[in-house]
Amino acid sequence: MRVPYSWLMEYLKADLEPQELAQVLTMGGLEVEEIIDFRSEDGEFADTVLVTSVTSNRGDLLSMTGTARHAAALLGAEWKMPEIDMGLLGDPVSGQTEAANDQMRIELANPKACPRYSGLVMDELTVAESPDWLAYRLEAAGMRPLANLVDCTNYVMLELGQPLHGFDYNLLQDGHIIVRSATEGEQMLTLDQQWRTLGEQDLLIADAAGPAAIAGIMGGADTEMTWDTTKVLLESAHFDATTIRKTSLRIGLSSEANYRFERIVDPQGTLRALARVAGLLLETCGGTIVGEAVDVCAPDLTPLRVPLRVEKCNKILGTQIPAQQMQAHLTALGFEVEADGPDKFQVTVPGFRPDVEREIDLVEEVAIVHGYENIPSTVPGKLTQSGQLTRNQKLERRARQALRAAGLNETISYSMISRRDLDRMGYPQDAPERNMLPLASPVSEEETHMRTTLLPSLLEAAEHNQRQRVSSVRLYEIANVFYPRGQDELPEERLHAASLIMGPYWSSTWNLPEDTQSPDFYIIKGIVEQLIAALGVEGVSYQAAEHPSLHPGQCAAVILDDKQIGVIGELSREVQAEYDLEEPAYLFELELEPLMQQASQYAEYEHLPRYPAALRDIAVVLDDTPENTAGALGQVVMEAGGEYLSEVAVFDVFEDAEKLGEGKKQLAFNLTFRTPEGTLTDEQVDDLVAAIVSHLRKKLGAELRS
Amino acid sequence: MEFQDLMSQVQQQAEDAILAAQDLDTLEELRVKYLGRNGILRQQYKQIGSLPEEDRPLAGQALNKASNSLKKLFEGRKSALSEQAEQHKLQAEAIDVTLPGRTPQVGHQHPLLATLDEMIEIFLGLGFVVAEGPEVEDYYHSFEALNYPEYHPAMDEQDTFYVSDDVLLRSQTSTVQIRTMAKQKPPVRIIAPGRCYRRDTVDATHCHTFYQLEGLLVDEDITFADLKGTLEIFAHSMYGERCHVRFRPDFFPFTEPSAEIALTCTLCGGEGCRICSDSGYLEVGGSGQVDPNVLAGVGYDTEKYTGYAFGVGVERFAMLRHGIDDIRLFYSGDMRFLEQF
Repeated sequence: MRVPYSWLMEYLKADLEPQELAQVLTMGGLEVEEIIDFRSEDGEFADTVLVTSVTSNRGDLLSMTGTARHAAALLGAEWKMPEIDMGLLGDPVSGQTEAANDQMRIELANPKACPRYSGLVMDELTVAESPDWLAYRLEAAGMRPLANLVDCTNYVMLELGQPLHGFDYNLLQDGHIIVRSATEGEQMLTLDQQWRTLGEQDLLIADAAGPAAIAGIMGGADTEMTWDTTKVLLESAHFDATTIRKTSLRIGLSSEANYRFERIVDPQGTLRALARVAGLLLETCGGTIVGEAVDVCAPDLTPLRVPLRVEKCNKILGTQIPAQQMQAHLTALGFEVEADGPDKFQVTVPGFRPDVEREIDLVEEVAIVHGYENIPSTVPGKLTQSGQLTRNQKLERRARQALRAAGLNETISYSMISRRDLDRMGYPQDAPERNMLPLASPVSEEETHMRTTLLPSLLEAAEHNQRQRVSSVRLYEIANVFYPRGQDELPEERLHAASLIMGPYWSSTWNLPEDTQSPDFYIIKGIVEQLIAALGVEGVSYQAAEHPSLHPGQCAAVILDDKQIGVIGELSREVQAEYDLEEPAYLFELELEPLMQQASQYAEYEHLPRYPAALRDIAVVLDDTPENTAGALGQVVMEAGGEYLSEVAVFDVFEDAEKLGEGKKQLAFNLTFRTPEGTLTDEQVDDLVAAIVSHLRKKLGAELRS
Repeated sequence: MEFQDLMSQVQQQAEDAILAAQDLDTLEELRVKYLGRNGILRQQYKQIGSLPEEDRPLAGQALNKASNSLKKLFEGRKSALSEQAEQHKLQAEAIDVTLPGRTPQVGHQHPLLATLDEMIEIFLGLGFVVAEGPEVEDYYHSFEALNYPEYHPAMDEQDTFYVSDDVLLRSQTSTVQIRTMAKQKPPVRIIAPGRCYRRDTVDATHCHTFYQLEGLLVDEDITFADLKGTLEIFAHSMYGERCHVRFRPDFFPFTEPSAEIALTCTLCGGEGCRICSDSGYLEVGGSGQVDPNVLAGVGYDTEKYTGYAFGVGVERFAMLRHGIDDIRLFYSGDMRFLEQF
């Protein structure tokens, strides 16, 4: 709210500069966001304006007097209300749901939504421009001055916090006000010349002819005060915050009035505001008050009494504030405090503080006036546990470390993607990844669904980096993906790790042959192997597989316990072209949860061998068929080698039709034999190798290459 | 010519030649010529027999002396030339040390996650365990259990992404408070880091995705003063003893009393600058004593237990730590950015 300094100081008896006041308010819970040197449009008036940011629980601070009261409590200073002649209202006619005088009849058809409605009729008013002092104040407070009549209602709203509305009396049927719920589909034209369609949940101010205002939000065009208005019915009412908010949100209409009603206006303040505006109108528009005020008020508006235990208050805050001081703090804020025994108070909550309902709320009030900066700092004593990460958090850190050690940079991307991303990546219509959780109101067309895979984000990053002429892209992300379950059920969140490499993978440097720099399938696979090794998981295997975005001949499924937990491969030509990538890209995506389940927390030590190993190399030639993979060959070798064969490692793959014959390939292995019982003799090893060779011949038709 | 004179002449010639030799090969040739099996000196020995009997001892002595002296000279010259040769070799191997080194390719930690990890470490040291909760949440854990009245203006500040009326993307990590307390009796001492979402339009200082670190401590006799003390230790660990933590009243439905947390502006040191809007402080999060409604909602005895909670944004800390001025960079995947940290 914009608070002009000179206006505020009319109520606050304190001698301090705007900057000092701003500091006090900020530290007292009413943040001053900005201090503006204000000059009126005509240049004749200057003031300092404090722009306050009022928290949503403190509707009472949305007025000059409310701000003055709070400032006074913080400063230990005096403040005062403006002089208001309540006598102007005569002896108000009152009732619980209905009351009338000879000018108006007020009927509360929905006392829950409108528990109080006070009205006053004035006549023989002269509408003109407001006097300068009033116009300048409104302007400084950020409201455009229009004409004295409406300006006075706005002025009182800013001064006291009570929104007011004026109806042109002659446009109301019989001066009959009915506060009722709208009927379904009921329509009205509001002041801003918009037709509004209302429903049963919306509250209307109506006359016998139809709606005259949307309660607490905006008046109707049909009963609007104009330059020709001479007679008005002034409304000063109390509306239920929730009802007003629902309507405002639903019809998308917001005003200074409903902003205040949503934050709860003092139900005790309706008559005071009415008297204040009547006085101002007499002063600025002339005219007369016709009859007395009418005040319809539901009976349950009695103030709340809340107990406060002094010891409890200090125990919550960690302070030793004396009882007397607590009493002074609360009294300064406008609470009535009575002693109830030596260590307890009964506190009566004023109508302007509906946010205070419980003892803990009073504790906060005490703390605010006492000053947060005056509360000591201590360290919570009892330590009952050591701080630690969960097992999975530790494993996630280990995974991140392993991927960085492989030269990949950690990246973070948005969790939201769009269907188009999956189109670009070539996912078929029935792909499980297409079943994404949609956002009801996305902020952009690119971010409409919660992602089911991390790969689109990485491809977008590759695209971005290429545009920036970054030649080597090496990225990984570890983040959740989201798989919907039933309607209104929370989705399954799966932790995935994914990576993309493109362009030179090894250290970018000079004088190294280019072909040694390029990544290939085996590099990205090597990274996966390194990650899995870092987690201490064994028994992962790889099988040729297919994926909509990956090269059909260079794609592997990562298998753990007969279940696919991930995919590795080269980006297909089509998708590479779709993303306009100049270089081939290699990717993997893995589910981390299954790996984490089998991860070992600590590596188990294996005794170092006491006897040296025997090393042999063999090379075999076999048919180059899809079944005859290095993996299959290795398995046959391991079977034949028995317990003495401790390791098999491929060291050469060779294909040459001239030397080997058409459709043949040669694979060469290092074999490592050892036994804990002793050193193997040459004859023993020769026998083992012979057994392996014969097994290979039998199983795969592989011939030893001499 | 006398034998001795001849000797002196030979010795002189040899000495001159040795000293003049410029490489090891020449030197070796000279050694063979003078001291070799068929060298000049060896031949001189043979001539001693032809000298008169009385002259032989002297001639022998002179010859030995010359031989020894030349051997020594050879050794000296040889080591000098070897050293010289070694020097030449090293010189030939000299490289341009100003060419760039060949660095092993090592990946970099994301600055946001690195900052978060550092924050987590501080609280681990203070005995907090790390808790987690889902990013996609229900209305109950996000608002109802956190004491948000259904139609309250406080909801405006959350600006939540909804999936349906009951399912939404969490707008703060405070949801983890409820999930943890529902499973666990006091004492509860947790931090909950994680991704949150708000319907912000993305620009240099706003993003719809952000990271938060939540803290919660519920036990007997936990005071507002304890909250202050804990966050001061945290701030001092992050930024040093001179960093002041400013607490001022604020409003959050799930804490009472509530406090905004602000730290001395790291850029101006509290003097006031553009970054801190001349206030000398930067707001980093919210905190307060857990509202009794929240504790009662998870079945805790609100007379027996009190607690504090806080939530701080991680982006702010990361931006201050590294001088990053555009929040979008965190989510850009830009290698030029990521490799700087």
